[in-house]
Amino acid sequence: MNSLASFAETLAPDQGEGEDPGASRQFPLMPEGEAYDMGHAPDGTPLFDPRIFDSAEFFRNPYPYYRILRDHYPVYHDKLHNCYYVTRYDDITHCYFDDEGFNTIPKGSSSGVLGNTQLELSGVEHRRRRNLYGQHLVGKSLENRVPAIRRLAVEMIETWDGINDDQIIIDRDGSRTVELGRAFANEFPIRVVCEVLGFPKEAQADFYYWYNSMMSGLGASDTHKQGLEARQHLEDYVEGIVEARRKEPTYLYDEAGNPISKDIISKLCETKVDGDYLSTEEITSNIALVVGGGGETTRGAILNMWYLLLQHPDQFAAVCNDDNLWDSAFHETLRHSTPIGGQPRQNTFDVEMHGVHIPAGSLVNMVDFSANHDERIFRDPETFNMFREDLYNGKLLRSGYRKEGRCSHMAFGVGPHLCPGAWISHQEAVEGSRVLLSKLKNPRINVERMPKDIDGKKLRPIGLVSARELWIDYDLG
Amino acid sequence: MSEGKVQDKAPPGGALQKRAKGAAAEPPGNSVVLGLNGVEVPVRHKGGAGYRTYEVHQRERVGQSTEKIKPIQLISEDFLRDPYPLLGILRENYPCYRDWLSNQYWVTRFDDVTSLIQDEANFETRSKLWFYGCEDYGRDLFSELPVLEAHAGRIDANAEALADKVIGDLAGGGHANLATEFAARYALELLIAVLDLPDEDAGEFAERYWRMQRGYLWDPVAEQAGLRAMDELATYFYPLMTERRKSPGDDLISAVAGLDLPDGPATPQDLVVTLLERDHETLHGSLANYWYLLLTHPDQLHRVQEERRLVKLGYLETLRHSTPVLTARRFTRQEVERFGLLLPEGALVMCSAAAANRDPRIFSDPDTFVVDRKDICHREARGQFRADGLATGVAPGFGKPSIHPALPEDRPRSLFAINRDTAVIASRVVLDMLTDLKLATGASPCLRSRRLGEMHTCWDLPVTFRKR
Repeated sequence: MNSLASFAETLAPDQGEGEDPGASRQFPLMPEGEAYDMGHAPDGTPLFDPRIFDSAEFFRNPYPYYRILRDHYPVYHDKLHNCYYVTRYDDITHCYFDDEGFNTIPKGSSSGVLGNTQLELSGVEHRRRRNLYGQHLVGKSLENRVPAIRRLAVEMIETWDGINDDQIIIDRDGSRTVELGRAFANEFPIRVVCEVLGFPKEAQADFYYWYNSMMSGLGASDTHKQGLEARQHLEDYVEGIVEARRKEPTYLYDEAGNPISKDIISKLCETKVDGDYLSTEEITSNIALVVGGGGETTRGAILNMWYLLLQHPDQFAAVCNDDNLWDSAFHETLRHSTPIGGQPRQNTFDVEMHGVHIPAGSLVNMVDFSANHDERIFRDPETFNMFREDLYNGKLLRSGYRKEGRCSHMAFGVGPHLCPGAWISHQEAVEGSRVLLSKLKNPRINVERMPKDIDGKKLRPIGLVSARELWIDYDLG
Repeated sequence: MSEGKVQDKAPPGGALQKRAKGAAAEPPGNSVVLGLNGVEVPVRHKGGAGYRTYEVHQRERVGQSTEKIKPIQLISEDFLRDPYPLLGILRENYPCYRDWLSNQYWVTRFDDVTSLIQDEANFETRSKLWFYGCEDYGRDLFSELPVLEAHAGRIDANAEALADKVIGDLAGGGHANLATEFAARYALELLIAVLDLPDEDAGEFAERYWRMQRGYLWDPVAEQAGLRAMDELATYFYPLMTERRKSPGDDLISAVAGLDLPDGPATPQDLVVTLLERDHETLHGSLANYWYLLLTHPDQLHRVQEERRLVKLGYLETLRHSTPVLTARRFTRQEVERFGLLLPEGALVMCSAAAANRDPRIFSDPDTFVVDRKDICHREARGQFRADGLATGVAPGFGKPSIHPALPEDRPRSLFAINRDTAVIASRVVLDMLTDLKLATGASPCLRSRRLGEMHTCWDLPVTFRKR
C-alpha cells in the first residue's frame, strides 16, 4: 500500500478523532474557579473552544474562562458564533465611551420583544430619548420616590403572614423559612416601576406577568412568541393609560398623603420634543424598556446581595451594625456577581485591537462580567469583600468610571449608555434591604433547600445567572 | 387569551398573584380580558384599525419567532447528520432567518441563494486566510494564467491513469471502502499529480494538506494544527521551488516558482496560500456522495451501468441532491436592504446551497435522486446557476459559475468543468473495472459532516465487487 492510501484510510470514521457532537458537546463540570483544559498551542498558550459559551459549565463557573480570555485573548474572535469578545476593563471602558466607533447594540437584537428602543440608538438621537425619562429617575425626583419604595417593601413583607404556600413560606417552632425571590425580590422591582410610572395598583400583577413573559421571550428563546404577545398586551394597555393621563394627570404622594409630583407618564405626556408632544407610541415603547430593564436586574441585585452577605457572616454583621454600609455591599455585589453581563456593540470602522483586525460591522461583545473580575483593576477579584479599597462605591458617577483612585464596577455600564435606572435601582435594593433587615431576626441561609454545587455540599456559585431562589431562615417573635 | 392560559404560563410560585386572582372579579362577557385582575385591554392592533408604525412593522418582520426552529438546532448534532429537514423549515417559513445565537442570517431559497452568491457589489467572500487571522501570510496566485494552465494540464494528463491505478489497487478479495479507498484517495492522487510530488512524500503531504484545510473554521485545536501544517508545508516546498525554478516542469509548483510578479518572486508561503484557498473537498465529497447515492438507489445504478451517457447527468444530479459543501459564507460589504430587512454592514449571510438545491419552487420532488432528472440543466451553468432556461445544483466548492463559461479560449476550462469531467472519468473507470458492485452485507452508510461547518459526505461506504 502506498503512503497516500494509508493516509486516506485514516479518514474512515472509526479512525482519527471520532465524531463531533456539535454545539451540544458536554464539558465536564469543574470545581469553581478552575478551567477545563481545552488544549494548548505549542508555545503553551491555552486554547479556547467557543462551544464552552453554550455549556452548563460556563454558566455556572465562567470566571476562570474569562481569565484565560483576558490573559491570552484580550480580543477573542469566536468564529463559531461570529463575534468578538473584549474582556479587559480598560478596553471595555474605552469602547463604551467611543460612541462613534462602537455604535450601539445591534438593531433588533431584542428580536422585537423590547422593540425599537433607545438601546439601539446613538449620538444626539439617543441622548434626547434617554433624557426624556432618565431625568425622572435621578436627583430630587428620585428622593421624592424613596418613601414610596419603602412603603411598597413594607407592604409586601406584611403580606407574608397570610401566605399559605410551602413554596414560599414555611413556619415551624418559632422560626420561619422564606424564599426571598418569590416572596419579595421577584415582584418588588416591578411594583416600584409601576408605582413610579403611575399605573393603577390593580395592574401590578399583570405587569409582573407581562414582564416575566417579555424577559423569558428575549432573543432566541423557546418562549419568544409569548414574549411578543406580552409586549403587545403591555403596549395596548399602556396606550389606554397614556391617553387617560393626557386628559387628567395623576400624582405621587408622600407618607402624609400630600402630592409630591406628577408620575412619570403624566410628565411624559406634557413633554415636548422639537415643539411637539411625545407620541403615544414613543411613550409606550420606552415604558416597555423601563419595565423590561427595571425588573430582572434589581431582582438579581437583591438576591445576589443577600446570598453573598449571608455567606460572609462577618461582613453581614458589619452591615447590621452600620446601616450606611449597605451602599458598599450593593456595589461590591454588583462587581462580584453582576446581573447584566455586558453589552454588544458594532464597530463603525475597521479597527485593530491587541493585534486582532476587526472588520467594520462586526459584533463585538463587551464582557462586563470579565471587566468586573479584571485583576489589573481589582485585587483578588474572585473574593467578595465589601471593604475593598479599589472599588469606587460613592455616589454614582455619571460621566466617568474612576474617582479617588478607585474604579467603578461595570454592572450599569459606563459612558453614554450608562443605565438610566442605576440610581433608582440602587435605592430599591438598599432601601428594600433595610426594610427586610428590620423585619428578619437572625437571618441565615437554609442550606438544605438551596441548590448545591457539583460536590453536593457547597452552595451553588452564582455564575452568569443571578441567584434564582434564596431560602432564608429567621426567628419569629 | 383566557384566564386559564395566563395561569398555565405564569412563572412558578406566584402566591401573591394567586391571592390577587382570588380577589379578582369574573371577567365580563365579551370584552377582551388579559389581566389577572380583570384589567381590560382592548386589542387595538388587529383588524386594520389603529396605528401601525414602522417600529411595530419591523418588530413583526425582524422578530423571527422561534416556534418552529431554535438557532441551537442549526449547530446541533442532528444538523451534522441530516441538515435537510431543518433547512427545509427555514426555507418554507423564514426566507431570511436571523440567527441570534450565531450572529448570522440564513438565506435558503434557490433564487435568493444564487443571487447573493453572484452579487459582488454588495457581498464578499472572505478568504480562508482571513478566518485564520493571518492575511499577510502569503498571496493567492491561482488566478495567474501559467498556474491555471499547469493545474488543468496536469489533471487532464493524469485523470484516467490515476483512476485506473486507484481502482486497480482495490483489494483483490472484492471488499473495499469506496469512500476512503476511492473517493478520498483519488482526489489526493490528483492533487499530488498536479504538484508532481515524489511518491514517498505523498502520505505526509496529504496529512499536512488536510490539517491545513480543516483548521480555518472555529475549532482552536484544529486552527493551531492547521497553522503548524502551513509552516511545515512552506518548509517542505522551499527546496522543491528552488530546484524547479532552475529546471521547471509542467507542474503547478514549477508554474508558481517561475512567476514573474511585480511585487517580488513567489515564495513557498505563496504556494501554500494558493493551495489553501482552493477548494479541497468538492471532488472528493461529490464522488463519495455520488457512489453513496448510486449504491443506495440500485435502480439508478443499474441505469447508469446500462447507459454510460447518464454518468455525467447522475453526477450533476448528485451535486444538486447532496452537495458536499453545504453553505457559502458571504459578508455584506455595506448596509444592504434585502428580503424586507436591513442587513447591516459586515453581516454574515449563510447562503445555504443545500436548502436551495431542495427548493420545491425550482425542482419537482426535490428529495428524490433521479440520475437523468428532467428539470435540471445538463450543461455548465451560467451566471445565475442556470443554463438553457433550467436551474443547476448549487455546489459552493466550485465558486460561482462564469457568465461565459464556454467563450474564453485563452483560458483553461472552469474549475466546475474540470472537476465534473474528472469525476465522470473516474466513475466510468469504476463501472468498467468492477462488476457485481453492491453495498457490503449489513452496511448502512450515511452522510455526515465530521465537524460543524465541514463538508457533508459519506465517510464509510463498504462495498463488495468482482474485478473484470
